[in-house]
Formats: sequence, structure tokens, C-alpha cells
Amino acid sequence: MIVLKNLSKQYTRDSVGLHEVDLHIQPGEFVSVVGQSGTGKTTMVKLLIAEERPSAGKIEIGGWDITNISRHDVPLLRRQIGVIFQDFKLLPQKTVLENVEFALEVAGERKSRIQQVVPRVLDIVGLSHKNERYPHQLSGGEQQRVAIARALVHRPKILVADEPTGNLDSINTQEIIEILKKINEFGTTILLVTHNREVVNQLKRRVVTLHDGRLISDEHKGKYRL
Amino acid sequence: MLASFFRIVKFSLQDIFRNMSLSFMTVLILILMLLSINTLIVVRVITDESIKTVKEQIDVSIYFHPESTEEEIAEVREYVGSFPEVENEVYQTKEEVLEDFKETYSDNRDILSSLDELGENPLGPTLIVKTREPKDYEKIINALSVPEYENIIEAKTFGDTQVAIDRIHSVTTQVERFTYFLTALFATIAFVIIFNTIRVAIYTQRAEIGIKRLVGATNWFISGPYMLESLIFSIISVAVTYGIAHFSLGFLDPYMSVVFGEQELLANYFSSHIFFILGIEFVSVFLLTIVSSGLAMRRYLKT
Repeated sequence: MIVLKNLSKQYTRDSVGLHEVDLHIQPGEFVSVVGQSGTGKTTMVKLLIAEERPSAGKIEIGGWDITNISRHDVPLLRRQIGVIFQDFKLLPQKTVLENVEFALEVAGERKSRIQQVVPRVLDIVGLSHKNERYPHQLSGGEQQRVAIARALVHRPKILVADEPTGNLDSINTQEIIEILKKINEFGTTILLVTHNREVVNQLKRRVVTLHDGRLISDEHKGKYRL
Repeated sequence: MLASFFRIVKFSLQDIFRNMSLSFMTVLILILMLLSINTLIVVRVITDESIKTVKEQIDVSIYFHPESTEEEIAEVREYVGSFPEVENEVYQTKEEVLEDFKETYSDNRDILSSLDELGENPLGPTLIVKTREPKDYEKIINALSVPEYENIIEAKTFGDTQVAIDRIHSVTTQVERFTYFLTALFATIAFVIIFNTIRVAIYTQRAEIGIKRLVGATNWFISGPYMLESLIFSIISVAVTYGIAHFSLGFLDPYMSVVFGEQELLANYFSSHIFFILGIEFVSVFLLTIVSSGLAMRRYLKT
């Protein structure tokens, strides 16, 4: 599903984001990428969604080589990968419903399909009753659930979660992790980037550890070891 | 494609209403810029009218000897009329000149009684010449200052008008230069203000632009609403400015008619040039806003 071959990203001569990383993620896996701040976790996410271009190596997603993806194809890629972030990245001037609808509208989906899909996805994340609220009227956990709903509307094969619980308390963290596990059970590959020890240890899934831009361990039922 | 277009229209209207204060400020700045341009147009019209009025009051009078024959006068008239610079010429016979003279000095009994004592009309015919530009008078005067006409022409109002003509010419040139400078200055200030207003508006929405890119929106889908907003802001600002200008001209025109005599001078000018003025103003504002938006957005749309 995701293949990183000898992948490197060098920002400046002294600043290395990733260094010769090899990683193969199978469809349906739940992989946690851990590491301290500045070890290349976010760089990996940026490379996967083509916000950055690699300095060397190769990236394949679902058999599509996106190493040198054209600007024109970037929106198509981003419609196929669901992404959620620590700061939620919701459109503040749009309601919950509009935020989720927007992801389908940009793809040119028909209105009838949008009206069919969006309520269902909001139901999955438990926010059907708050669809007319604006992001600032929601708690952190609820905002993250909106972001998850938005990421899911395209039925992505991959969901990349970059520190999704970084701004949440333990109860909300638990809720978000449970939703991610549920999404994974439906067959979606999850790439969870985090430095939350408890979350990683509780998951008991594959753990990839980065340090100074290098992949230093890859365990199939791993723990947070840093 | 059509669905995307309607979505862009929807997002554009949503942006305008949900960012009402920013939309209001942008339109206000555009209106102020357009009002300054309209003020310049008014200044230009008043200046042109003033210059025209002053020019109309200048002419050259050619006084013929009372003894000059009709043939000699006709020859001079024909010669003067052959100059392309001459706009028109008015010929007054001896009798008409005398009538004018008496009317001018109707309050002065001494002059009128002296005229009666002479018993005959001492005044010769007069040719009043008007040229297209004040600077052309000198050419006419010089052309008539030749020996052949010495016995026909008694006097020319050359000395009296030359200073005035030179002064008018100098003043009009200075006023025109100042108006050009003022126009350039206003245009530059307006451009800088509008450019920065739009940049700030886009800057405040940079996070939103980033999020839209993140969920897979194309650059066209992101920039479309901003382009449409530029169009809507341009239409609103031009329409409101026209309303304000129309109202203000109605207020100014009575004062103008006292000075220039012409009724609704400014309103007439604006009516007769309405498509040109509105067209130029709309195109300028639209281009300015759309170029500013494009430049401001460009950095946030890079992948």
C-alpha cells in the first residue's frame, strides 16, 4: 500500500528531515510512527501528501509512484489519502456539515451523493446532532472527529494521522484512538504519527521508530521504546 | 464543471457575508479610490471650462482707417480668413462700431457730446478675430504688420493682449501639468492601498487556503471565489461611487452655473461620458483587485 524506498529529504546542508528510509506498509495495517520531536515524523507525512518533494529515493502509494508527482496531480492524490492533524485544520468560517461537504465538493461530486455520504460519515464519528455548529463552538475532541469525518468522505484506502491526539485530554484521546481502530477494522490502512507513549503501548500494533531522520526499529507488535 | 462553477459562486458569497467587516473595508477603500478619481475628473472639467472661458474672452481687434475702401477691407478679411488657426472673424461696419461705442459710453455725456460736435463718424470699421489657441494671435498680428496694410489698418490690439495671452498660456500649461501630476499621485496611492488591502485580506485567509489545498482542492477551485469576490467588489464600488458622484454633482452644479453660466455643466459632462468613465473605472478596479489577489495568493497556492 505504502512503499518508501531509500527515501531521503534534506532541507539544507545541516538539516536532514529523513535519511535513507525503507518502509513497506501492507493494506489494512495499523502502523504507529514514533520518535522525538524533530526526528522526521512530520517530514514523512509531508512527503506522503506531496507537500514536500524527496531529495532522493522513491515513494509509492497504492502502486502510484508519487516521487515526482506533478502539481496538477497533487489534488487527486490528496483526495485519495485521508489526513488528520494535531491542530485539526478545519475551515473556521464553515459549519461542521460544510467542512465535511467541502472535501467532496472540491472533487466535483454530485449534490445527491454528498447528501447521502456526509450524514453517514458524521454519524460514524458521532456528530450528526452538531452539524450546524462552527468549529469554535466544538471541543477539541469534537473538532478532531470532524477532521476524521472529512478525511473519510472519500473512502480513502489510507488514513494518515499526524499527532491527532496532541491537543486532546486523555478521554478525548481514547475516543479518537477508538475511532481510528474502528476505521482500521473496515480495512483502511492507518499511519499514526505520534509521540504518545500510552497510546502506542495500548495499541499493540506495528511500531516504526525514527531517530535523527533514520528508521532505527520496525516491530510488528511493538512498544514505545524511546 | 457547471456544478463546480455554482459552488464557486456559493463559496464566494459565503466568504463575502461571513467576512462582512473585511468585505466592507475592501469595498470602502475601492470607493475612496474611485471618488478620488472622480474628483480629478471634476477638477479637470472645471479647469478646462475655466481655460475655455478665459480664451473666449480674448480676441484681436483690427481697426481699419475710416477712409479704407471696401475692396481693401475685403482683401484683409480674405487674408485673415485663410489662416487655419482662425476660428472665426466678426466684421463691424463703421456704423455698428459707432453704435457700440455710444452704448459703451452711454453714461459719459462728455464723450457723447464731443462725438456730436465732430459731426461725422470718426471711427473706422473693425474686424474681431478669434483664433483656436491664444498663442496663435501673435502669428496673425505679425502677418498683418506688413507695409502693404499700413494704409489700411489703423491699429491692432496687439500690445494690450500679448501679456494676457502669454500669461494665460503659462497658467494653462501649469494647471495641466499639475493635474497630470495629481492624477499620477492619486493613482499610485490608490494602487498601493488597494494592493495592500487585498494582500492583507488574502493573508488573513492563508490558513484556509492551505486547508483547502490539503483536502484536494485545485488551485482554480481555491482562487475562483476570490476572483469572483473581486468582480463583485468592483461592481458594488463602481455603482456606489456613481451614486455618490451623481448626488455630489447635483450639489456642485448650481455653483458652477454661477461661474460659467452653463446649467448642469458637471452632470452633463458625466452623462455624456458615462460609459467611458464607468468602463474605465470598472476595468481599473477589477484589474487592480484581480492582479492583487493573484499575486497575494500565488505564494499560498504553491505545492
